[in-house]
Amino acid sequence: MKRYLETGNFAITEGAILAGCKFFAGYPITPATELAEAMSYRLPQVGGVYLQAEDECAAMHLCIGATLGGMKTMTATSGPGFILYADPYGWAIGCEMPLVVMNSGRVGPVSGITGAPGQGEFYLTRYPTQGGNFEAVTLAPNSAQEAMLMIVEAFYLAERLRMPITVLADQLITDGFEDISVPENEEEMKEMGFRVWPRTFNTGPEFYPFTDALDIPPVQMGTNTGGLCSDWTPTPEGYDIEEVEAHHKHAYRLIYKVRNNRSLFSHHYEKKFMDDDPDLIVVSYGTPSRVVNTAVAAARSKGLKVGALRLINLWPFPDDLFTRKAKYLSVELNWDGQLVREVQRATPKDSEVHFLGTCGDLPTIPDLLETFEKLLKNQPLERKGWELEAW
Amino acid sequence: MEYSSTSLIESYLRTRKIPSTACSGCGLGINHKVVIQAISELGLGVADVVWGTSIGCAGRQTFATWKGDGFAGTHGRVYAIARGLRIPLPPEKKIILTVGDGDAFGIGLMHLIHAARSNADMTVIVNDNLGYQSTGGQFGFTTPQGAKTDSSPYGMFEHNLMSEGMDVMHILKGAGATFLARQVCMDGPIAVESVKKAILNRGFSLVHMPYPCPTNFASRHLGSRNQVNIYRWIKDHAAPLGQERPDTIWATGVWHDASNSRPEFSELVWNSVEKIRRTGAL
Repeated sequence: MKRYLETGNFAITEGAILAGCKFFAGYPITPATELAEAMSYRLPQVGGVYLQAEDECAAMHLCIGATLGGMKTMTATSGPGFILYADPYGWAIGCEMPLVVMNSGRVGPVSGITGAPGQGEFYLTRYPTQGGNFEAVTLAPNSAQEAMLMIVEAFYLAERLRMPITVLADQLITDGFEDISVPENEEEMKEMGFRVWPRTFNTGPEFYPFTDALDIPPVQMGTNTGGLCSDWTPTPEGYDIEEVEAHHKHAYRLIYKVRNNRSLFSHHYEKKFMDDDPDLIVVSYGTPSRVVNTAVAAARSKGLKVGALRLINLWPFPDDLFTRKAKYLSVELNWDGQLVREVQRATPKDSEVHFLGTCGDLPTIPDLLETFEKLLKNQPLERKGWELEAW
Repeated sequence: MEYSSTSLIESYLRTRKIPSTACSGCGLGINHKVVIQAISELGLGVADVVWGTSIGCAGRQTFATWKGDGFAGTHGRVYAIARGLRIPLPPEKKIILTVGDGDAFGIGLMHLIHAARSNADMTVIVNDNLGYQSTGGQFGFTTPQGAKTDSSPYGMFEHNLMSEGMDVMHILKGAGATFLARQVCMDGPIAVESVKKAILNRGFSLVHMPYPCPTNFASRHLGSRNQVNIYRWIKDHAAPLGQERPDTIWATGVWHDASNSRPEFSELVWNSVEKIRRTGAL
């Protein structure tokens, strides 16, 4: 194990290389630029390729092409680039191409504030493309070290599920300096929970079987297997077909290969002070969860029965964590309320669900403590003129 | 039914997809045959070529016709996919893309230019049916001036890439393409020769191949779906380079041949990676 004081971008780069990533294509964008820079430096050292694309849409298409040729690939961006992935993301879902997509959230909409953290792409990572009829997978680390683990995990899941996997972080995680341990051999990787799955290719003749099964290798060009892939609804052999019944079967695979294999995910959540059925459950993901964890510990020392539930596996949404009737508070880095809507949907019908949003800046511990206290005393939430419940 | 191309079809194409679902009288099949003929004359086999296609008439009708490996990209992005694929694909394998004019010169022009800039080894066959015909017949960016289409009912009056002395070939040459040719679909054996040269260039090659669309383009612009009319109209407006007439729209022949004159993209990338890996510097 080697220890570094380095950025999340460094950790992600090392994680990708450990997972077998040999190809990265990107486009400069704050705060994901340093990741592209790190890849351009590190990949050639391990015999890999870095390409700078003409835009993000091309970046992910380049990755698709390299995946089609048998490489493990990755791209990274922030919100304004992530929307340009919509086109290739859909293609990668439909053609079932394994690759990893990193999104470092900043403040939006559009260019917004470039150098500050935001969580505006919670739903966008669930619906990264048009058309529906698929299930998306998103992992959300809350530290540089965990970002490394999640990148490795994303490469693993991409192979086994045969699809693109999104890792959703934010500017503080990718740009912030932290204590990072990098495993140096397979044993240390295992110790740290790093799982790796090798790339193989499909020999046909059924390239798109109507099944929810795992571990079906992707189509690979240049293998002379007669492999086909396209943006149209495929027959099992990969021919294009305009037929609702065929599309229903195709959609079944895209949805249920994820839904029916939930046991594959090994990093669902983190719970703090959740063993004694707390009166208030604070839900968060990513960087805000670190402030929440501290605030909840402080609340406990003041005798408030508060627990913290941090989501790591954002999509598919872990509904089963929200079966208990309690008060819920969603803490997010946006002012419109995104995670809170999903919490509201997943919790028992008459649960109280509240929202505390900040953006570009983290919530403060006094702010959080005040909110916890008010919620537990059934007092109205109001701060800086914002009605916090009006999400 | 007997086809004169039976042996070519049996060797290279999937009988499930041939004949295609193209409209009666469509010229795409002629372009398609020109490409297959060129592959055959070069002595290439099914395993030597990866075939990529795009969206629209040209893409949809040629997808999965190739007996070997094939992919269809999103609209206009197939050049970026092919460039990514070029990295792991063995250098002796050819990438041939059959795309349309909307794909190459409209939505995909930026990606096309970057494929040319990087001199990525691929042969792009732009099958130009003079507009967006699979959506019913709207003008594109190489549609002749004055053409009446469903989205230019008064005649196409905008500046475009094939009018007033402009030619899309100039853009691609400036961008760094190492082989460029234009042949209309009636050029027969001359077109086959151009496509052969394109495939042999280890770098970015493009052959622009205008072809007739009787169903939409001809019915709106010429007022008739009579196939003879549109075939004659295209032939009358095409002339070999150097023999252009005032009403020539398409100057045909080899526009630019700098084959194998500068390093190919993936070769350059891999050589650089190898040097960095070995020595830590370039």
